[in-house]
Amino acid sequence: MFDNYLIRKDSLENVYENKKAVGFRFAVRIADYRGCFLSLHNGYYIECDGVEYPRELQKFEVNGKEPRDFEEIKTCVWEHWNFDDEAYVYVEKEGGLTPGMHRIKLQQSVLSQYGYMPWDEEWLVNPPVPGHGAGAGKTVNICEFELELQKGA
Amino acid sequence: MAIKRGVSLYSYQQAQFFGKMNWKDQIVEVHDHLKTDGIEIIDEATIRDYPFPSEQFIYDWNNFMARYDMQAVTMDIYLDVHQFRDHIMTHREAAERLKNDIKLAAKLGFKNVRSLCLVPIDVIEMALETAEKYDVKIGKEIHAPLPIKPGTRVQPKTGMASALDFRMSEQIMELADRTGSKHVGLVPDFGIFQHSPSQVAIDYCKRHAKIKESIDFILEHSKEYELDDMIRVLGEKYPEHGLAESEIERMSLHRSSADPEDMIDIIPYIVSIHGKFYNMTEIPGKPGCYEDTCIDYETPMKYLKQYGYDGYINSEYEGQRDQQDRGIEYLPDDVEQVRRHHEMLRRLIEE
Repeated sequence: MFDNYLIRKDSLENVYENKKAVGFRFAVRIADYRGCFLSLHNGYYIECDGVEYPRELQKFEVNGKEPRDFEEIKTCVWEHWNFDDEAYVYVEKEGGLTPGMHRIKLQQSVLSQYGYMPWDEEWLVNPPVPGHGAGAGKTVNICEFELELQKGA
Repeated sequence: MAIKRGVSLYSYQQAQFFGKMNWKDQIVEVHDHLKTDGIEIIDEATIRDYPFPSEQFIYDWNNFMARYDMQAVTMDIYLDVHQFRDHIMTHREAAERLKNDIKLAAKLGFKNVRSLCLVPIDVIEMALETAEKYDVKIGKEIHAPLPIKPGTRVQPKTGMASALDFRMSEQIMELADRTGSKHVGLVPDFGIFQHSPSQVAIDYCKRHAKIKESIDFILEHSKEYELDDMIRVLGEKYPEHGLAESEIERMSLHRSSADPEDMIDIIPYIVSIHGKFYNMTEIPGKPGCYEDTCIDYETPMKYLKQYGYDGYINSEYEGQRDQQDRGIEYLPDDVEQVRRHHEMLRRLIEE
């Protein structure tokens, strides 16, 4: 659900540290009709211009706090991502993105559930790797976006 | 006493997502345009900072509901067993979440909480004392693909249906009878009377299917195979179809999961009803009258009226999600869809 609208179209920009581009970021919404406990957020399948950026290269900024990696997010068991709120996904990429259009493919993984399921024990030990549909909540398709790089923050 | 109309604010999720309506606008729409008072919410969509809303939010909510003289009917609650990530939530922990949700519902003036079909019965029983104390009923949802009574239905080994207990309604009524509690019951969802896939769902699946013919094959042959067999046959005919099991499950729907006459026996246990729908279209030859062609409302409504159900039916619009993979110009109008649904409810209640 919200397939075409999970990334805000004018939000793609490079991220700078000490005046050097170290990656890019874009604004996302939750692919569900309800918010979630933050600990349930299990990262993204992200492909940009044909290159895959695994969860280890991703950080998540929400609730006015500094970007956190998904190992830290996993421990935020009482914090909530509100349905109404936008968040930022940060992706590590030396040099950032070049000016112009970029093709991003995305699948969000949130391990929200409707009760006990047969795969619970498996997910505890091996959480699903985003991109294969399992743990993708209400939007199982990988969604595609054509985004123009905005002037950096 | 007659059946009462309400709306689950779930119906306006798209308008909320795009910032066009907040919960206050949604309540005003129900009051001003639908001329009714029943409100249902999704806890994690409406309650800012769930599960720890501010005192100000709670006061603001209760005040706004009072201002428009609305009724807080049912709050829909969830069970995310992976919340703690280092262990699967135990049943006692699940009961703690349920108890906390009951207390929150009470603070917001709700008469009922809707708990999910996959919540174990012992979890419900552990929270029953809290439900009594706060005078909030726990209504367990009868959601497709559950039947009301299993009858001769064979439970599939794949898909959602495999994880559910087809005797769920019976277990709840047994619990209510054994304990004598008036605080546990059922929330049937009209989705159990859906007999075929909605056109909006078919269109969505076709737009994304690698092999469009595979969808036509399912639609044409769904009556010939049970789900397990359909998955096998489809895989043999189109090895590269790439469809998720959940998609095959919803495209192969060919019979409602429940029988309308089974509603009669559960009426005393119903706390409220979900009026699920996907797409309201004008009835040919009846201008201004609407229907959802894939869900039978008429027959269950006839029984509800005949046997004296006088609680709420709350609209639950769900067709929007199958239309959000395209441009803004193709997005459905959720406000209009709910208005049409209430035209139908009003007509079926009064006729």
